[in-house]
Order: sequence, then C-alpha cells, then structure tokens
Amino acid sequence: MEIGAQRRNTRLIKGTLFLFTLVASIPFLWILRDVARMMFAPIVYYDNGVFFTWLKNTSIFVFASMGISVASCITAGFVLAVLDVPFRRFLLFSTLATMLIPITAMAMPLYVMVDRLGLNNTLLGLILASSYFPFGAFLSYLYYSSVLPPDLVGMGRIDGLGDFGIYRHLGIPLSKSLISVVTFFAFVGLWNSYQLPRVLLAEPSKSIMSIGIEVFYGQGTTLIALMMVIPSVLLYLASQRTIARGIFSGAVKE
Amino acid sequence: MIFPYLAFMFFCGIIPIGYGILEVRNPSWVNMEGGFETFIKVLQDFRVGPAIINILFLLGIFVPLMIVTVLVVSLLLDATEFRYNKQMRLLFLIPGLIPVAVAVLFWSAVVGYEVVWDKSNIRWLIGAISFSTGIGSWIVIQYGSLRSISQEVLEAGVVDGCNRFQLAWRLKLPMIGRYIAYMVILLIANTLQIFNEPNLLMYTNMTTDWSPSQIAFGYAFKNADFAGGVALSLVMLIPNLILALLFVLNTDFMKKSKTTWR
Repeated sequence: MEIGAQRRNTRLIKGTLFLFTLVASIPFLWILRDVARMMFAPIVYYDNGVFFTWLKNTSIFVFASMGISVASCITAGFVLAVLDVPFRRFLLFSTLATMLIPITAMAMPLYVMVDRLGLNNTLLGLILASSYFPFGAFLSYLYYSSVLPPDLVGMGRIDGLGDFGIYRHLGIPLSKSLISVVTFFAFVGLWNSYQLPRVLLAEPSKSIMSIGIEVFYGQGTTLIALMMVIPSVLLYLASQRTIARGIFSGAVKE
Repeated sequence: MIFPYLAFMFFCGIIPIGYGILEVRNPSWVNMEGGFETFIKVLQDFRVGPAIINILFLLGIFVPLMIVTVLVVSLLLDATEFRYNKQMRLLFLIPGLIPVAVAVLFWSAVVGYEVVWDKSNIRWLIGAISFSTGIGSWIVIQYGSLRSISQEVLEAGVVDGCNRFQLAWRLKLPMIGRYIAYMVILLIANTLQIFNEPNLLMYTNMTTDWSPSQIAFGYAFKNADFAGGVALSLVMLIPNLILALLFVLNTDFMKKSKTTWR
C-alpha cells in the first residue's frame, strides 16, 4: 500500500477512535461539569456574576499596562545602554531611585494626578499609573550593555543604520529572551498588584480580581488562590524555554 | 525613542515624589505646625524604633541567607544537566506568585494555625515567608544569566585546571557581578519596605506596626495623615539611596555597552 494511503487510513482510524471515546465519555464529562459548577458556584454566581466583570477588567488592565510597560522599558534599556543620550547617569539613577520608593509614598500623589485628569475610578487611570516599570527598564539596560558590544553597533553605523535602525535590526532580534523575562515579571506584578488598584478603583463593580477576591475569604478562597496562580504559572511555562536558553546570551561569540 | 519611558518616569515617578516632598510641609497629625520637621517627628514615633529593629533582624539574617541561597541554587542548577531542572525552578517560583489578598490563607495552611498564632516566633515567621516568596524570581534571573556564559570561557577554565567550585567562584560569579549587585540592592530595598508579609499576619498577631512601611501606610490611609506617611517613607528611602549610590560609584554598574566577555 502507498505510504500516503497508509497515513490517511491511520488518521481515519485515530479520528474514529477519538469520536467514539468522546461519545463514551459524555456522562463522565457531565459529572465533571457539575462538580466544577458546584466548586466554582460561590465564586462565579456571587453578586450576579460580578466575577466576570473583574476578570474582564483585569484582562484589559493587565494586557494594556503590560504592553505599554514592556515596549517602553525595553526601548529605554536599549537607548540607555547603547546610544548617546544626555544625562544618562542621571536617568539611570532616577530609574533606580524610583524603583526603591515604597508604593505608600507614591499612591496618594498618583491618586491626586489621576483624579485631576478626570480618570479616577477608571481603568484608563489605573493603566496609565501602572505602566511605569523601572525594574524592567534596568534589567533591559543591564542586558543590552552586556550583549551589544560597541563594535557591533559601530558596524551597524558603517552600514548606514540610524539609531532606530540599530534598534530594529540589532536590538529587537537579540531581545527575544529579554522580552520573555520582562513580560513575565510585568505580568506577575500587574496581575497581583494590590495597593495602587485599591486606591485608584474604589467602586466594586469597576474592581479587578486581586482586589475583588477579598470578598471570598472563608468561602472557597483556596480555589481562588489556585485560579490566581494558574495564569502566572502558564506564562512562566510558556516563556521558560527562552529563559533557560540564557536571558543574557551575547551577540558575539569569540 | 526613549520619550514614552521618560514620560512615564516623569509622571509616575518623579512628579509623585516631588509632590510628596512638598506635601510633607503641610500641617499634619504628626506635626501640627507643619514644615520639614515632620521628617524628624515621624522618627520620634514610639513604634518606629521597634519596627527598625525588626527590619535590622531581617537584614542581618534573612537577606544574606536569600543572597547565598539564590546564588547557590542557581549555580547548582547551572552546574549539571538535571532532568527536573525546569520543575525545580517552578517550585521555587510559585510562593512568590500567590496574590497578597489570598496569601494569608495559603501561609496559615502551610505553617499551621498554631504557629501563626504564636507571637514568640513572629520575626522568624515573617523572615521565612519573605525568604520563600522572594528567592524564586531571582533564581530565574540569575540562572538565566549563568546559562548565557559561553561554553568556550568555561572550557578554558577547565583547561586551566579549575574544578566545578573554582569555575563557579572564579569565573561564573564575577561574570554575573552586575546582576548580583542589582539583586542585592533590590533585596535590601524590598526588606526596608517590607509590608505584605507582616500585614498578612495582622489579624493573628497584631502586626499592624511591625515594619516602617506599615506605620507609614497607617499614617496615610488610616489616619488620613499623608504628610506623615510620605515623610516616613522618604526617611526609609535614605539608606536605599546611599546603598544604590555606593554600588553605582564602586562598580561598573552604569557603564555603557562594553566589549562583551562572552
């Protein structure tokens, strides 16, 4: 028999088996569905399903802030490490200093600023206030100052590349693992953020998961703890291949 | 290219600090007359002394322990091709991924309610929680930095007669020196600002004023005394800034892109 026909037959057999197994497992899946419903019922049906509003708000907040912060801090790390910018040392020191300031000192001024912009109690206000990620910027700076030797940048210049060209053709291709690491830490920080959302989002209907789940103390909290950890673990598992390859792998092998 | 980041740094970092410093001048619960004496007066609060001793305890015992553990575990994970390497790193990381809002139940279940209610071990318990939640992310970063040291450099070390310990001590650690410096600064800063861990045990051990950050938080959000809260937070920032400056001035922490050692 032809190899192609053999493969087709194998696929057909596997498909039929899969279908039969699925039909056979319907009663079991039904039980699982009911068990899951019972387990998650206190959470999912609480206050007319406000959980889903929190989930939606959290998704918007986390992904928007993460996108802004990762893009801005990786670019900043590249510029500070590779290009000639005025006040470089001052900018680096400011990055480090702002990272060391407790959120207690920052929360109230941020609240006043967000309120003056008319964004109090809105996701946009929280997104803007949370998009500054100095930890990622400094990590990116350390990364680029190790992996991009001046000789390589010089070669890029000889080839006629400008600042943005060097970033696009050298910086970004080299930063896959850096992006994974910074994205992971940005996600975890935002997903679990507590103090700033607590100050900036007062209305329960506009809240996010990390604040909203407090109402479940004593009623299925362990389950919600598990639910809160799963996204971070999945993201870590997805990005750990690039991390394990070496966060700071160099551009030049001598 | 750097403009978006600078805009965020300015609006979410520098302006809030400036605003906070100006706010300290206003009359407050700590300093009715107002003025910059608030910085001195917050330190005279009877709760601040014991809180600083608590922090010194963590700085003296747990921070060095965390630094050593992170480096030892990262070096061990990097030293051999171990089948369960991935899973081990994940297990170190998980305690740090649990959100603050639910962590109290998690930790009560882990250490047992009788331990949580025992006031005599509170420093050790808080130290253990901060240790457990703090090391995972640094292991990920330091392991990643170790993985990127080129094989040629390590092979040259082996040819020169280095054993595994010497490879780690003489080659690997100096090569990731800047990342270690970054970790040390942030671990000390996080300890000086410690808030979540004692806050978790607030209901069982009355640790509402255990750390300076909690006292500052209490000023700002319980007593509506923002000036006092910011003043204490900024005073606690001074050791951080001195430490950061020492690192910046004494290491090549802020040197531009250098010829790579890889």
